[in-house]
Amino acid sequence: MTDKHCYLLGEHTIVFTLTTQNPARNAQRRLFALTAKLLQSDAFFEVVPAKASVTVYLKNPQDHPFWIAKINALWDECEVTSDTPTTHTLTVKYGRNFGPDLTALANTLQITEKQIVELHSSILYQVEFIGFLPGFAYLGTLPKALQLPRKETPRTHVPKGSVAIAQELTAVYPSASPGGWHLLGQCDTPLFDPLRAQPSVLMPGDQVKFMPSKEGLC
Amino acid sequence: MLNIIKSGVLSSIQDLGRVGYRHLGVSQCGALDPIAFQLANLLVNNAQNTPVIEITIGLAQFQFTAPVNFAITGGDLSAKLNGQPLYSGWRYFANADDTLTFSTSKSAQRAYLAIQGGIEISEVLGAKSTDIQANFGGFNGRALNANDQLTFTPCPTPLSRIGVQQPAYTNEVRVLKGPHCDKLPDGAFEHLLKTTWHVSELNNRMGSRLTAKNTVQHNTTIASQGVHPGVIQLPPNGEPIVLLNDCQTTGGYPIIATVINADLRLFSQLGTQQIVQFVQSTVSQAYSASEKLSAHLAQFTLAKNNK
Repeated sequence: MTDKHCYLLGEHTIVFTLTTQNPARNAQRRLFALTAKLLQSDAFFEVVPAKASVTVYLKNPQDHPFWIAKINALWDECEVTSDTPTTHTLTVKYGRNFGPDLTALANTLQITEKQIVELHSSILYQVEFIGFLPGFAYLGTLPKALQLPRKETPRTHVPKGSVAIAQELTAVYPSASPGGWHLLGQCDTPLFDPLRAQPSVLMPGDQVKFMPSKEGLC
Repeated sequence: MLNIIKSGVLSSIQDLGRVGYRHLGVSQCGALDPIAFQLANLLVNNAQNTPVIEITIGLAQFQFTAPVNFAITGGDLSAKLNGQPLYSGWRYFANADDTLTFSTSKSAQRAYLAIQGGIEISEVLGAKSTDIQANFGGFNGRALNANDQLTFTPCPTPLSRIGVQQPAYTNEVRVLKGPHCDKLPDGAFEHLLKTTWHVSELNNRMGSRLTAKNTVQHNTTIASQGVHPGVIQLPPNGEPIVLLNDCQTTGGYPIIATVINADLRLFSQLGTQQIVQFVQSTVSQAYSASEKLSAHLAQFTLAKNNK
């Protein structure tokens, strides 16, 4: 039994959250299933999944007691879907001026740059949630050997397409932004376009694989 | 055309904001004071969600190249048309070549300029608001700059001069207790209520950081979850951050309180060094407060149509 909590946040927002900050893969997949069910309802003007929670914004705030009970019931009905998630393969130019932090990372982590590239591109990552910037997908879970805190001083400018790591996560910056993650490489696939009907390439629950490009370290 | 002679500190195109894309990391954006926004459009008989110019702090100058009716609402930034003082909450008429200026004010922070018939702006992701952080929507995905030209349909017939009473701006902000108070040090929420906060220099359309002599510091962490305008986060240094319309969609700081929807507009006028006092509210009081604002808009619509 997974511990969970469903509550009214403010006056028009309901949060369904697991009590653990690091849910097991199965619990997380069940959350994606719940999110998918909630997205089908027309009672909400937004449904926002995060790593261990899903937040819904009610069109009729006064209906919150009904929806708190209903979401709890939906969770109990939710099963981990057996559907195969969509997998995206993203080509990455690792190192050199594509990944300005790779050399320093190799020193800090006490492994070679080549090993970092191999480790980083060896995993099938899952989109845990999207936040921070439009289309910015938090991908988990990074191999233990690559986990380290964010940079002490964030960069004021991280270029669009930068492939970066911090803590147990990796991500590709869909647009230029300030940022405190360590930059390993560059991905030229556009990940967010506000003019497309489906603006974000990566969606919660999708899987991502990185493929080293011959233009960079591989 | 409306020529931007000086854009001031920050002027941007806003409507009621972007809805339905938060799960993709897209911020709401939109006018920080949705009531002033709607009153401005009502004054010039525009459709409800017509984009307007949100002017921050002032020091802006615009020139009309054709005649049109316009309205200014929100805070009083000492607007003038060809040097003649204008009042916030009123409808006016501009002739071709007239110049509209906004200076500054100690107490007000943002004004809204609505043009009869609206400004021509394309919709991006269902809204015409500028997403200044992500660089899309509004005018070329950015704040207005000097020499920009905005297109509107001229109207040579002056409408009668009418005004509207705007709901007052106060420093007293009603809040609901947040979900993470039991994870924060004892008394953190009570401390939030009894402290007189000052708005720090770190205030913009994304949020307002508040400071006080005594803060409650902590080392509580929570998993990132969905956040929205009105959420008050308490970072470890104890200086609360009130999230506003351009805020991110998820956040990892504990939520100590939320501003009731009806009072969030007050932050549109709270600038650096201004005082904020939080008062605890209840969910039903929050709903009544929103209904009261809706009634204010409805009454004005009725009064205007019966004139």
